[in-house]
Amino acid sequence: MKGPLENGTLKSVPECGEKETALMPALYTAQKEHGWMSIEAMEAVAGALDIPKARVKGFATFYDMFGKKPVGRHVVRLCTNVSCILSGSEELLLRLRDKFGIAPDETTPDGRFSLVAMECIGACGTAPAMLVDNDFYEDLTTENIFSILEKYK
Amino acid sequence: MNILLKHIEYPGSTELKGYCESGGYKALSKALDMKPADIVNEVRRSGLRGRGGAGFPTGMKWTIASMDPKKPKYIICNADEGEPGTFKDRPILEKNPHLLIEGMAVSAYAIQAEYGYIYLRGEYPQAKEIVEKAIKDAYSAGYLGDNILGKGFKFHLFVYFGAGAYICGEETAMIESLEGKRGQPRIKPPFPVNEGFLAKPTVINNVETFANIPHIVEIGADAYLKIGSPESPGPKLFSVSGSVNKPGVYELPMGTTLREIIYGHCGGIKNGKELKAVIPGGVSTPIMTADKIDCPMDFVSLPRYGSMLGSGGIIVFDETADLLKVCLRIMEFFDHESCGKCTPCREGVGWLVAVLRRMSTGSGNPGDIELLTEISKNILGKCFCALGDGAAMVVQGFLNNFRSEMEAGIGGQQ
Amino acid sequence: MITVTINGKKIALNKPVTILEAARKADIYIPTLCNHPMLEPFGGCRLCLVEIEKMPKLQASCTQYVTDGMTVWTETEKVLEARRAMLEFLLINHPLDCPYCDKAGECDLQDSTMQCGPAIGRFKEGKRKLPECYDDPIIVTNMERCILCSRCVRMCSDVQGAHAITITNRGSKSCVEPFSGGRFDCEYCGNCITVCPVGSLMSRLHKHTYRPWYIEKEIETVCSFCGVGCSFVAQIRGDSIVRVEPRPDLGLNKGLLCVKGRFGFDYTASPSRLKSPLLQKNGDLKQTTWAEALSHTAGKLKEIKEKYGPAAIGAVASGLCTNEDNYTLQRFMRSVVGSNNIDSTTGFFYGPAQRFLEDIFGQGVTLNPMQGIANSDGVFVIGADPSAVAPVLGLQVRAASRKGIPVVTVGHMPGLKRFATCSLVPDAFSEPALLNRLISGLMKKRPVCGENEFFEGAIKKFMLSTGDDIADPCGLSNNDIERAVNELDLMTNPAVLIGRQVVQRSDASVLLLQLSVLTYLLNGRIYLISELPNDQGLVDMGCRPDMLPGGRPVFSDSMRKRYEDSYGSEIPSAQGMSLMEMIQAAHEGNLKALYVMGENLLPDLPDTGYVKEALSKLELLVVQDTLMNETAELAHVVLPACSWPEAEGSYTNFEGRMQHVRKAVHGEAMEGWKIISEVAKIIGSDFGFLTVVDILAELTKVSPIHKGITYAEMDGGKCLWPYNGEPLRDSAKDFALPDITLLKRAKDCGRPYLFADQQLFHSGTIGRNSSALSMLMPASYVKVGNALSEKKSIQAGDVAGIASGIKSAELDVIIDPDLKGMMVLIPNILADKGVMSFMKWNMNPDFKNPALDGNEIEISKLRSKAEEVSA
Ligand SMILES: Cc1cc2nc3c(=O)[nH]c(=O)nc-3n(C[C@H](O)[C@H](O)[C@H](O)COP(=O)(O)O)c2cc1C
Ligand code: SF4
Ligand code: FES
Repeated sequence: MKGPLENGTLKSVPECGEKETALMPALYTAQKEHGWMSIEAMEAVAGALDIPKARVKGFATFYDMFGKKPVGRHVVRLCTNVSCILSGSEELLLRLRDKFGIAPDETTPDGRFSLVAMECIGACGTAPAMLVDNDFYEDLTTENIFSILEKYK
Repeated sequence: MNILLKHIEYPGSTELKGYCESGGYKALSKALDMKPADIVNEVRRSGLRGRGGAGFPTGMKWTIASMDPKKPKYIICNADEGEPGTFKDRPILEKNPHLLIEGMAVSAYAIQAEYGYIYLRGEYPQAKEIVEKAIKDAYSAGYLGDNILGKGFKFHLFVYFGAGAYICGEETAMIESLEGKRGQPRIKPPFPVNEGFLAKPTVINNVETFANIPHIVEIGADAYLKIGSPESPGPKLFSVSGSVNKPGVYELPMGTTLREIIYGHCGGIKNGKELKAVIPGGVSTPIMTADKIDCPMDFVSLPRYGSMLGSGGIIVFDETADLLKVCLRIMEFFDHESCGKCTPCREGVGWLVAVLRRMSTGSGNPGDIELLTEISKNILGKCFCALGDGAAMVVQGFLNNFRSEMEAGIGGQQ
Repeated sequence: MITVTINGKKIALNKPVTILEAARKADIYIPTLCNHPMLEPFGGCRLCLVEIEKMPKLQASCTQYVTDGMTVWTETEKVLEARRAMLEFLLINHPLDCPYCDKAGECDLQDSTMQCGPAIGRFKEGKRKLPECYDDPIIVTNMERCILCSRCVRMCSDVQGAHAITITNRGSKSCVEPFSGGRFDCEYCGNCITVCPVGSLMSRLHKHTYRPWYIEKEIETVCSFCGVGCSFVAQIRGDSIVRVEPRPDLGLNKGLLCVKGRFGFDYTASPSRLKSPLLQKNGDLKQTTWAEALSHTAGKLKEIKEKYGPAAIGAVASGLCTNEDNYTLQRFMRSVVGSNNIDSTTGFFYGPAQRFLEDIFGQGVTLNPMQGIANSDGVFVIGADPSAVAPVLGLQVRAASRKGIPVVTVGHMPGLKRFATCSLVPDAFSEPALLNRLISGLMKKRPVCGENEFFEGAIKKFMLSTGDDIADPCGLSNNDIERAVNELDLMTNPAVLIGRQVVQRSDASVLLLQLSVLTYLLNGRIYLISELPNDQGLVDMGCRPDMLPGGRPVFSDSMRKRYEDSYGSEIPSAQGMSLMEMIQAAHEGNLKALYVMGENLLPDLPDTGYVKEALSKLELLVVQDTLMNETAELAHVVLPACSWPEAEGSYTNFEGRMQHVRKAVHGEAMEGWKIISEVAKIIGSDFGFLTVVDILAELTKVSPIHKGITYAEMDGGKCLWPYNGEPLRDSAKDFALPDITLLKRAKDCGRPYLFADQQLFHSGTIGRNSSALSMLMPASYVKVGNALSEKKSIQAGDVAGIASGIKSAELDVIIDPDLKGMMVLIPNILADKGVMSFMKWNMNPDFKNPALDGNEIEISKLRSKAEEVSA
């Protein structure tokens, strides 16, 4: 995996109060630079913060937002919890599968999208909803979802 | 009712300028002229109970923390809003971040905390940007920093961005997570108010709880007590979703009935359908049948109706809802979110999922209802934290209230 | 006083404990899985739930503390139901492969299920499937069996401090893993295996070789690897040890072991094990009978004594041998040969360091209980990394650090890196300058108070004469030093740990004096980091050229008389030769016979070539040992001695604790002490030793400190210095101030210099003969830091050429980013490429030990490993 983490060091460790709180933001930085939480990325974080490697791994794998495998250029996180299901998010999942050929936790062969079926993302009132990278989309329909995804190349 | 969301009506209140113009940061200024103990006392008298789910009296929490001599003290805002069906904290975070900052600054002063964290769920990247900017602005304007408003009080505030683990909403798991550890709950006692973050006294409150503070300081406990119901005073944010015409977040006095909320504020059931069931406070509160909607929404009334206020995340189901599937989906959520520390939650909830899954395809075995009852009984009251116990209670809610619908999952009677 | 009632039984307690502890005190059984006496309460498995009156919910007895007046029930229907439920849950994903699982018979899950589990399981779905993992050479993992009690992870992180394993993922997907997911790459203490309640973490070495019920005997004994002296139970089947098992209530290690102790004992079954005596004939070692070997030895010794006098004979004792063996060798030398020429490698560090410190502070000053380290309010470590050379001692330092106690280390100490609150790595050989700065810094904060006039006078004299005038004296910033002084100033009664490297150098006496001053200022307790199981025993048994048993100087007439009367022979009053002096004398042709017991001189002494020449000039070289080794190959007579599990005896650890080493298996060789007594008998002196009890009886009669000791007393674990005896009370009234000019910093010449790498996985000849340890560290290597790596363009994986002027060799390169400057480390693993073979030495005039400082070497890259493969 190429990227800024190539030489095994983390470019920047964001400041967040006490030193104990540095691990989470450091993992985010590593993930941003590297795409996902590979062994090398975790090693880099462990080295930068001088935290035992296994502790970093235990921490990183506990949290859903840190990818356990490489992901595409854009991560589509579609909520599939109760309120979104009531408003049709299962249907959306099927449409995405038909259009892009990906089931949850898969990536399109061209590396454009990775799909994640999410627990509640706090948009139940405007369900169904999804996060594409860091952007929120709500009130999704089988029509508007594809035009939204068009923007992500 | 317009207390917690009052600034939002005012154009530009997300920004510092708009917030101040609509009356923001007055409470902080007033608070810094008061004695910290007086603020704690005022909050205690106001009867404010935590809005994160458990409804613990906020004043009592603060009193214990402020009496502990250890230093420094920390306050943490629980903005991990992960309970499905709950999205009430989001408008404050995204549209009115300064209210939260002001509330936290006042609270910090009250218990004499020097540092604060906002533990923000990883699924709210927009809120992160907004809150971080607001914090920056608040620093520049002297509402945060080493000498707040020139009155010699020091308080520093950081955003800690979570990464997708519902259990981190549990306060001790949250502290573990903040300390760079796996988010598993800690043994209590010691309680966070005595030994929390970095083993120092730590107050953890929900976003909405902090949002109430400036108002209490401004109008005083006596006036505040007049809002809401006697045992649960104050305004409450209800987030309503599911089959209603106008879902969304509503600010209403505590004790407003479900009927008023669903049929009054939310414009009734979508497409003229019949109401079948309501989850009143997020998916970890037991489901209720349609005939119970005259229940006032507050901490004391809901238990009488077999459920709990929880986070106030109301999910409404109409006659077409497949409740067996809903139950399965909720259990899958708990299974996915179990931290894995304790046996009943880690193994038992997975088992519930396995049974519900076969039932949801209509191929449940005879005796599966009894099995579900057994398993949930074996989980309930035996878990390390409230997550697993909640899961068991929720299954029991479905079994007790919608038994025949659950029974439909039992396959061709052999 | 707290009173709780459990099942109607009233229990009185002095302090609040958990319900579980209270119940155990009262012999009330509560099943548990995640709880372990060596770990903090966790409360995860929920098996220990109990009913407490006035509490609606069941409570975990392992985390709930008792309160006065509490009433607890542990056998109500509700509790029993909960236990059944928890076990049913745990068995959902458990493979139930008990017939195949090595843990069967000692599995907590199996036992609890037997006692309180459900009769049948109702889970119909497929179980979690995870393949057994054989990626690691030592530890097999089977995660299907795991019940996620996290005992292993808590042991690894909270007690061992290695942080090598973790739970990954969460919820029902949780799994215990090392970082790599496969190989553990850890310290291999195996303490995770001890605490695993099921068959998830198991030793690969014992895999499918036996079942717990095949064990025929369990013998409590003491480890033979280092000076800590950990206790464990050796489990025996037939005539071999199948496993050693520490117990939380046993010995000073209280359930902990290190890699050597746990896995290394298989050296006793090595193919190099000596079984019958060998005699050199025409240059070759040939098998012979005991009678011939013993009479040859006796005859030759007698002849040499008569021809050249007793001073031409020397003996080397060993820290691997028991007190009984060492005492007997000493007795032989003093009473049969009539010479004080007896020493061992303990004379390189442990012996002289102790002597020096005792001269200042009085006898026994270094003999302090190990537990005191974790319970002190500060730790200062210099000279060795205890977590490598005496690992369980190292754990005490780590435990102290975890409690938030200041830990200051001086020197390269990888095992304490994460635990030192302040780690100072001065330039090579500039420790005296650094210590001087620390002392003067501390004296500014703590002016000497006049309590010990004599010593304070010395301090003042010393400080005056050295001054504080060297700028940047040791390659550390003023800031670093100031920080260290501040940390030191927090300590009121710290543990001061001193290791080998302080003493194997020419300015050793300066360093030791400085450390004494520091200890005095800090009000500290000194610990010597002992690397061999019986370093202290050697000193106490009189295996020093200047000391009689009981730590009495040989020049003391009254003492000598005491021994002479008892032995019925005369003991010379002059001190004998130290080990290096004997080697020199042999080289010069003045020493004619050397009796080497349990010590492999060639790899363990510096300048192997020189030592080899010296030994080759001897008229008689007797090697009494358990394993064939390089030194034995040169011997005229090789006498096979019982190895550690084959004979009774005792070791004295670094605390001065005498511990019983028990015979666990039968061996073909002869007890070490017996071989010596037999030789003595042939020469004409019968010691009358029939068993070790006779030896101990003689020792307790003659040695003023070892009064009335019995093996039974040792077994009680309380046989601590000064036993029942009389220590020398008066500390010296004057001691010679060392040569202050030595304080001048040995200029770092900018060239690579060599040190010994302190190896966790190895310990000389015995470790080398353990197949388990050899698997972990199969070959020697050379370690360099970043600076040197850059300067010489050497990378990890390269093969480097090393040349020291007396020795050159090729070694694989490891880069250690924490190594400072031009430092080069080589371990002492293999005799032909061990670090000692490269080392030149000078005789330290104060201690007569080898000074190894200033060993400059050449290092260059020869080729990269990759080239080697493709070629
Ligand atoms: C499993 C679990 C999840 C929780 N999630 C949240 C949450 O997302 N937000 C929240 O404010 N409180 C949550 N809580 C409640 C907190 O533990 C805690 O009671 C609350 O933050 C205290 O603040 P309050 O007194 O202001 O309500 C959760 C509790 C549990 C047991
Ligand atoms: S109930 Fe147990 S496993 Fe579940 S989240 Fe709480 S502690 Fe973790
Ligand atoms: S032993 Fe108490 S919860 Fe495991």
